[in-house]
Amino acid sequence: MAIVEMSKLSVIGLNDNKSDVLKELMTLGVCEISSQDEKLSDSEWAALIKRDFDQSAGLSADMKISEVSSALEVLDKYFTGKKPFIKCRKPVSEAEFEAKSSKPEEAEKLTALVNEKYKKVLSLKAQKTSLLTEIAELKPWLDYEFDLDMKETKYSSIIHGTLPNSVSVTEVESKISQEGCGGVINIVSKDDKITYAVAVCLKQDKENVLGILRQENFNPVYFADIAGTAKENTDICNGRLQEVEKDLSDIEAEIGRLSQNIEVLEFYYDDLIIERDRYKILTNILRTEKTFYFDGWVIKSAVENVKSVLDKYNCYYEVTEPEKGEEMPILLKQNSLTEPFQAITDLYSTPSVNDIDPTPFLAPFYFIFFGLMLSDAAYGLILSVGSFILLKHYRLEGMMKRLVKMFMFCGISTFFWGVLFGGWFGDMFGISPAWFNPVEEPMTLLVFSLILGGIHIFVGMGLKAYILLRNGQAIDAICDIFLWYLLLIGIVVFALGSRIAPIATEIDKWMSIIGAVGIVLTGGRSKKGVGKITGGLGSLYGITSYLSDVLSYSRLLALGLATGVVSQVINTLGKMVGGGVIGVIVMIVVFIIGHVFNLAINTLGTFVHSSRLQYVEFFGKFFDGGGTPFNPFSRKTKYVEILKEEK
Amino acid sequence: MESLTLFNFSGQFYALLGAALAALLAGIGSAIGIGIAGEAAAGVVSEDPNKFGQVLVLQALPGTQGIYGLLIAFIILLKVGLLGGDGMVDITVSQGAYILASAAPIGLVGIFSAIAQGKAAAAGIMLVGKKPSELAKGMIFAAMVETYAVLALLISFLMINSITF
Repeated sequence: MAIVEMSKLSVIGLNDNKSDVLKELMTLGVCEISSQDEKLSDSEWAALIKRDFDQSAGLSADMKISEVSSALEVLDKYFTGKKPFIKCRKPVSEAEFEAKSSKPEEAEKLTALVNEKYKKVLSLKAQKTSLLTEIAELKPWLDYEFDLDMKETKYSSIIHGTLPNSVSVTEVESKISQEGCGGVINIVSKDDKITYAVAVCLKQDKENVLGILRQENFNPVYFADIAGTAKENTDICNGRLQEVEKDLSDIEAEIGRLSQNIEVLEFYYDDLIIERDRYKILTNILRTEKTFYFDGWVIKSAVENVKSVLDKYNCYYEVTEPEKGEEMPILLKQNSLTEPFQAITDLYSTPSVNDIDPTPFLAPFYFIFFGLMLSDAAYGLILSVGSFILLKHYRLEGMMKRLVKMFMFCGISTFFWGVLFGGWFGDMFGISPAWFNPVEEPMTLLVFSLILGGIHIFVGMGLKAYILLRNGQAIDAICDIFLWYLLLIGIVVFALGSRIAPIATEIDKWMSIIGAVGIVLTGGRSKKGVGKITGGLGSLYGITSYLSDVLSYSRLLALGLATGVVSQVINTLGKMVGGGVIGVIVMIVVFIIGHVFNLAINTLGTFVHSSRLQYVEFFGKFFDGGGTPFNPFSRKTKYVEILKEEK
Repeated sequence: MESLTLFNFSGQFYALLGAALAALLAGIGSAIGIGIAGEAAAGVVSEDPNKFGQVLVLQALPGTQGIYGLLIAFIILLKVGLLGGDGMVDITVSQGAYILASAAPIGLVGIFSAIAQGKAAAAGIMLVGKKPSELAKGMIFAAMVETYAVLALLISFLMINSITF
């Protein structure tokens, strides 16, 4: 429900116990061990202690990890079994993890084998490419029946090459004879740009003929390391190509078989990660000859667990409470209803120490706004049921789980608003609205949207007032929030007053005036001299920002209309084809494609715009963010989730 | 007088011109905007194919103006009876001109805001390329632009909704 309380922890222990202490703390996963750079740069500390870090050990762990991860990538690519739609971590018990990761030899062997096989795959693929290139290069010469390595006969020279199609061969031949040389050009083949040709001339004329040919953009082709005709060589290449392809498919099938053991590597990988992190955390631990020291943060509710570990290993420790406003890592905790909406807070920023956790306050508004903008009962059902199925089928975690759960909740809200506004795939079934139809009475919904917006903004301002009061800034709370409340409520009721009661108008006139005057008088209180006056006027001008904030909520109506009217477009299109079997089939296809598209694009739009209303209009009033998220020293496994045993 | 006959169209023509311009201008804007964002998206995906889903979300954002334009066009067609069974209703020139004017906000704001939003979305895509965790912020930057298309849609809608024949 709020920001979790943290305690500060400093520990001194004996080096002999260090690895056991760290191992148990990692399993608990409730401490963040802080960086000690500051102490190391302090000369008094630096004289006594040094950083406890063996770089080579960490490096070798990193190398192993990169080998295993490339082997895993290969196995994943050739995995023959059924791949899950979303890859989730596998739950295992502590004992199972111990057992499966206790035989690193097998995993190491598998890693080496897979990487070696994949190297072979790559080299075979390279061979295949070069063979294909050779075949392609030989193709134009297939009709040339002489050996390609025959460059001359007793008296004549043979020159292979290409000419652009724009050059006329007979003209070139006549040029050659004009120069007094003997030579002929035989065309072997042509494609759409180039003529492949062989020039035959007397040996003594070779240089001259080549000179003439070059002027006509002739490019000599040299066949390196080739004996025999193009046809023979192509046959040889094709034969080798077949061999290479067979080898390739054999090896790939073999890797496919090996991929059945992918789990072994996944356990090994996670074990390596845990081991690596245990090395890495040593950067944040200081040591003397016999002892080690570290400090950091512990979740307050878990302090007793940590204490019992530290007691077990005879560590000397101190747990203190943080000073007010001291920088500390932030962890948020929600109840089960608001928990999914923490995704929205997380996407924005972690709250800072001085903030309050906005999640419980944004949750109800997000829920309402989302439903109001999508407002189609059928879409809401699809969204909720779809999200529910995802949650049941996959062990989602973290942000993904929160988002899917949030969509499940918001689907309910969408259903509710859909029923109120009579949207069931738009107007497909002609179900009449429980409240009113926004397409027919847009003004009613516009006013309703703006009122919702006003409430949202007032709650945001109220939270700011709470923060100010909590920090002992009562004057600021009165001047910046309560005077504005007075003015804004005054103006609104004054405008509507005549409809309610004349006396209300009179009261609210004075409320607005007191508010406005108060704001002008106090707005410049932190400034000096003339600034006091201009500052006050400037802050009264801030009323325009409240106006634009409230108008921004008109998107609640606009996006609701967008869903409804686009549905209507789809339904009209579908029904246009008319009766008959074909008509019904076309109608169903149009309905399915159209409504899937509409649901997707409008859910995206709704998600973006409900978030925007929170981030810009709501958070703008009271929330700063910019805190550091709590990053506990724990087992950050990628493939398996080690379940904590209940004690 | 002769030159004036050039503009002597019926009210129905002006109404349909309004529908056409709403769908056309806003649609052009969205197409350009999505195109701009798509170029940036392809660049980011070439570096890291895993970001496809994230950048696709951003690329889709400038598409809404086209939908808003379609929406207004559709409502105009409904209003003038072109989509019903009874055929087009009679519309005076001033009524037709009124409908044309109602289509102007979403058409004009649609085309320019979609292009601007496409640029903002492209910048957001670059942001995701460098910092994948900041997707939400990239989306908000693009959505800030869309506010004005939403307002234009609202005005167009309210104007058309208030007309009766």
